[in-house]
Order: sequence, then C-alpha cells, then structure tokens
Amino acid sequence: MNLNFSDEQQMLRDQVQKFCESDYTFEKREEIIKSGEGFNRDFWKQYSELGWLSLPFKEDSGGLGYGPVELSILFEEFGKVLVIEPYLSTVVLSGTIIDHSSFDRRIELIEGIISGDKHLSLAYIESNQNFDHSDPKTSASNQGDNILVNGKKSLVLNGGNANHFIVMVTLDKECALVLIDKDQAGLSLNQYPTVDGQTCAELTLENVSITNEAIIAQGDEAKRLLDEALNLATLCISAESIGCMTACYLQTVEYTKSRQQFGQPISNFQVLQHRMVDMFIETEMCKSLLYKAMLECDSDEDTKAQSVSALKYQVGTAGKSVSQQAVQLHGGMGVSDEMRIGHYLKKLVAIDALFGNADYHLHKYSK
Amino acid sequence: MEISFTEKDLEFRDEIRSWIKHDYPKHIKEKQDKGEVLTKEEVIEFHKALAAKGWMGYNWPAEYGGTGWTSTQIYIFQKEFGLAGCPNILPFGVSMVGPVIYTFGNEEQKKRFLPDILNFNTWWCQGYSEPGSGSDLASLKTKAVREGDDYIVNGSKTWTTLAQHADWIFNLVRTETTEKRQEGISFILINMNTPGVEVEPIITIDGAHEVNAVFFTDVKVPVENLIGEEGKGWTYAKFLLAHERFGIAVVGASIRQLSKLKQLVAELDNPDLERKVKELEINLSALEMLELRLLSDLENGGHPGAESSILKIRGTEIQQRLTELFVEASGEYALIYPGPHGHLANSKPSGPDHAAKSLSKYLNFRKASIYGGSNEIQKNIISKMILGL
Repeated sequence: MNLNFSDEQQMLRDQVQKFCESDYTFEKREEIIKSGEGFNRDFWKQYSELGWLSLPFKEDSGGLGYGPVELSILFEEFGKVLVIEPYLSTVVLSGTIIDHSSFDRRIELIEGIISGDKHLSLAYIESNQNFDHSDPKTSASNQGDNILVNGKKSLVLNGGNANHFIVMVTLDKECALVLIDKDQAGLSLNQYPTVDGQTCAELTLENVSITNEAIIAQGDEAKRLLDEALNLATLCISAESIGCMTACYLQTVEYTKSRQQFGQPISNFQVLQHRMVDMFIETEMCKSLLYKAMLECDSDEDTKAQSVSALKYQVGTAGKSVSQQAVQLHGGMGVSDEMRIGHYLKKLVAIDALFGNADYHLHKYSK
Repeated sequence: MEISFTEKDLEFRDEIRSWIKHDYPKHIKEKQDKGEVLTKEEVIEFHKALAAKGWMGYNWPAEYGGTGWTSTQIYIFQKEFGLAGCPNILPFGVSMVGPVIYTFGNEEQKKRFLPDILNFNTWWCQGYSEPGSGSDLASLKTKAVREGDDYIVNGSKTWTTLAQHADWIFNLVRTETTEKRQEGISFILINMNTPGVEVEPIITIDGAHEVNAVFFTDVKVPVENLIGEEGKGWTYAKFLLAHERFGIAVVGASIRQLSKLKQLVAELDNPDLERKVKELEINLSALEMLELRLLSDLENGGHPGAESSILKIRGTEIQQRLTELFVEASGEYALIYPGPHGHLANSKPSGPDHAAKSLSKYLNFRKASIYGGSNEIQKNIISKMILGL
C-alpha cells in the first residue's frame, strides 16, 4: 500500500502551484471577471503550452493519457486560488465525451481543445428535470436527409465562448448527443455570470438543421458517455472544493493571527482555535473520501458512482460549513467583496449546486 | 497511488481471521455481541487465549517477547478483531505500561514485569487523573516522599478503569515541587495489595461499575519500583500517550456496529433514521480512509504526529453517534432504565430486544469523548501542532 503521489504527479502539482501562486493573484482574477470575457485568453494559451489541456485525453488523440489523480491535483490547486478558466467545461465535460466516443471528428476536436483554439460546451440541463437528464425534451426529428433540433438548454457552462455545443436530445425515442456549431442558423444564446465569477448561457434551438454526421452517440452509449463525464467532473469539482477549503482554513489562521482585539491577536482565543481545527478536520475528512473515489475509479460502475456520491455529499456539507466559518472568523472583512475569503464561499455554493447537491448525492449513494 | 495490501499481508489477515473464527473463545464473542458485560474471569480468559497464541504483545518488538509486527500488520490485527466483534484488548498493560518499561526501565524491571504482561498474569490499571487534575494533568498532587529505600505515597487517583480487578497500578506522582510543574513528576509502579491502597467504586450514568477512586495513605513503595529517572515521569507519560496510534479510531468495531444498525433500521420504515445512518456510513468511510492515509505515511517513511488526534476525535464521535442511533431505533422503549437497579434486575419489559443494551451503551459511551485526552484537548493539540496557533 502506498497512498503517496508519484514523482511525476508531485511535479505536476508543483508546476500548477507555482503558476497559481505567482500569476493568479486575486487582483488579476478580479480583472478577468470584470473583462466580461469569462476567462483570460493568455492564461488559456499558457495552459495549452504547459500541456494541461491535454491531461485526460487518450494518447492516440494527442493527449497525455492521465487519469483522475492528475485531474484532482490540478483542480485542488485551481481551487486554492479560484481559477475561473473553463477547464471543467471544455476539457473535462466536453473533451472526455468526445475523446471516449467513436465520433468521426474526435481527433480534430480534441486537437482543437489541446491547442487552446477551440472551446466546447456541454448542453444537457433543462428546466424542471431535477437532476435526471436521460429524457430530454429537446427533440431531434428526421426531415429528409437532415435532422431538425428544437428545444432549450439551461446552465450551459462557458456557453458564450463555445465554438461547438454537445447537445443532449431525444432522437428516435432515445437520447442522443449531437454536435452543433455556434454559428448554425436557429441557435441563439443568452449569456450570464455565475456566482463563482464564471459564465454560463441559456441555449435556444429553433429548427437547427444538422446531419447524421453530427451524431456523437445514441442510446445507451450516449447515456454512458454523459454519465462518465459527469462522474469525472463531479470528482474534479470535489477536488477543487478541497482546494478552496484548504485555502479557507489557512487564510483564516493567518488572518486571526494578525487581527488584534482586546489587546491581543484573536487567534489566542480558544473558541476560535477550535473552530479552525473543525475546519481543518472537515477538510481532511473530505480529502480522505477524495482518495477513496480516486482509488475506486477503475472499479465497477456502481462502486465508482457510489464513492463519488459519498465524496460529493461530504464536500457539499463540509464546503458550506468551512467557508461560512471562514467568513465568520474574518468578521466584517469576511463579507467585503474586495476580500478574497467571501469568494471561496461563493465558489463552494456553486460547487454544491453543480452536478447534484449534497441531498441529491446522499440519496443517490443510498440507492 | 496504490491501496491494496501485499500478498503477504493478505495471508496474515487470513491467519488472524481463521484464528478468531476457530480458536477465539466463542462464548465471549457471543456475550460481547449481545452487549453483555464480561466477568473478570472471562476477561482474563480471552487475554490468556491471546497470550497462548503468542499475540498478546501484538504491538511490541520481538526482542521483548512481542510479535515484532509491522505497522500494517498491527493495523490489520486490530481491525480484524474489531470487525469480528471481539472485546478490546485491555490497553493498560500491553499498550501503556509495557512499552514504558521496555523503553525506560532497567534490566531487572524488564525481567520482573514484562513476562507477566505478555501472559496476562498481572492486571494493570492507570493512575493518572486526580480529583483536581484532569485535562491539566501536570497539576497532579499525589506525593511520593523518599524515606530510605522506599517512597511514601499519599494522595488519590480517580476515574481509574477496572481498578477493582487490578494487581498493579502505574502512577504519576510528585516527587519534588519544582518551578516547572512537569519536572517534579515521577513514574512509579504500585502493587494494589500494599497496605494503605484503597479502591472505591464510582458508578457511571449507565449504572455500571467500571471506574474507581483509588486512595493512597502512607503507602510504602520500594524505590526499585521507580521507572527511569526521578522527575522524568512527564516525558514517559507523554511517550505512553503517543504510543497507541491506530487503535483509538476503532474503525473495525464501528463497521461491525454500523452493519448491525443497518439491519435493524431496514425493518423500521423510518426514512429520517435511514438518512442519519447513511450520513454516518459516509463519515465512517472517510475515517477508515484517513486511517489508511496515516498508515501509508508511516509505512513510507513519514512521521504522522498530531494528525492522530483527528482519529481520536472522529473515531469517538462516530462511536457515540452509533450508540445514539441505536437508541433512536428503539423508539419509545428508550424510556425504560436498564441499569442494575432498573429492569435488568427484574423481569424484562416488552419492546425490542436491543433497547436496554442500546441505552446502556449510549450512556456508557459518553465517556469516549472524555477519556484519553478529551476531544477538546485533542483540538488544542491540533491547533498548536498543526495550525501553529
């Protein structure tokens, strides 16, 4: 048994950490958010040059063939400085669906992602679905040689920047994933910011015409591709949330050491010390479940899904309590938008909401 | 990153499993599983069975008659015993005073005390807490004054677990009043049969007699019963506390309890309780993994330290939560007092079979977050050693 990271994995962590600590300052992050672009294109180029955009892809698609451990390392470090580039949307969600499919354009699309030139977004959520996305109302119907797509998709991450959309539709009474380009007639977008400083979009499709060649997968294969991508993405944001929680307790420790009240640093007060210990313990417990989920990634589907659900439940509940305590212990500074600490709370709210919240995953875990 | 145990470790696990299944005293396991209290004779019996197998010194180096097992083997051994529902191996001899004696004692003391610990010929108890010294242990007042070849001991110890059965007590005493309180403390061994030693029961809220007050009045203790140097007792006491690392999370036993709880709850059609059980299951699974992380660290050259305080805190919280949910599963039958003056002394009332024992255990286990360094003290340790506060 050895639960240590390999030298190669440690090098990856060091590299990501170095970038995050030196380049990803809070001021820089604020600047990116204010630009309204949703992310920073120079940084994205840099991620490509550093090889990060190719991490999870198969070697025959030009990727590095890495697994959930390496992705978790990247996301944990991203979480510490609240990186807002759409890695989750383009690489993890959309990229792995394409990479694991037998889609004709697989190589071309993955190359586009790896080079940093192309963004893809996954459009699978519809309103009133309550986390069950296997029966979409968005329809695709045959019309001669063409297929017409009609419907609305919600919460499309990074939708405003996507060159292509992977859209979950119902085709011939079964679900299917189809690729739709952003310029296609009948497609319209409404972009808005998310609570964690990123962006997403509502996608409306009115008689968008595609051909058979745009079908990425259909039936059980489509479901499997979506489930696998969502599972991996859930693991990634859980790792990200652990990065956020780590930053929360470390920054709270530093803050309480410097903040003087009653003639002494407030870190001297035991009532605050024990709360920071609680934050630390919560984080370590989540980390343990992350290890379990990473180690069980090669197990059967049920074990894998269950360990990811246990993890997502735990980060959902712990994330809120840790970041709420962090805000509380920062006092008035904690609720100031110009301080970093409140932004962790916002990120952790976003993470709990994504891909099923704590209640949803506790329920799923029990099944 | 690799979670599986080696072939050799798995063979070791199977050996432990097979021994427990075939050679462990069956009536004791059954009694323990039903939540009944073991008699003194039964406790001695299962320790003797372990001793006969050569496993009493499961966490000792081979040179002192122990098994010489690796950390992984010790982990597996403890976990299997918990999973199988075996009662705890009493820590006072083998895990507490034993390692202090073989680390700091002289040759004479090693010869005199260690074999009896390994054969469970002596029952040890721990003389640490005093009426005025709990978490602030260094404030202890029990005095040992040198007179010729003896110490004369006066004072009292409290919460002394199973002192009513003990042959010996290892005691922290004050041999000198020093400016730094820790420097005047010594570690001495006292035979419980010495004139002037008195044991009085303390009945806990479950009605049980598990802990005691121990009084020392002009007790004559030969100087050769001092371990190590006079005034170094605090160092030995701290060593002792750090020695037992993995047992404190009791993951194996909690997994067994959880599976029983799940069987119970499955028959109740109570979604609220089901949810609490699931939450607990996830927490236990995180604790199990945390223990493995620390084990891996240890086996790969690391020195995990204050992290083991998390094991104590979370391990006991989960133990207590389990007892709480067992009581919830009794519904309104949690009303009936089961203790020695309650229905256990009379005929059994109606209601689920587990109700009385669940309630006893719930009341009894309030101790878990208090003993072994209260969970608040554990938080102080993490705060200082890990967070640097």
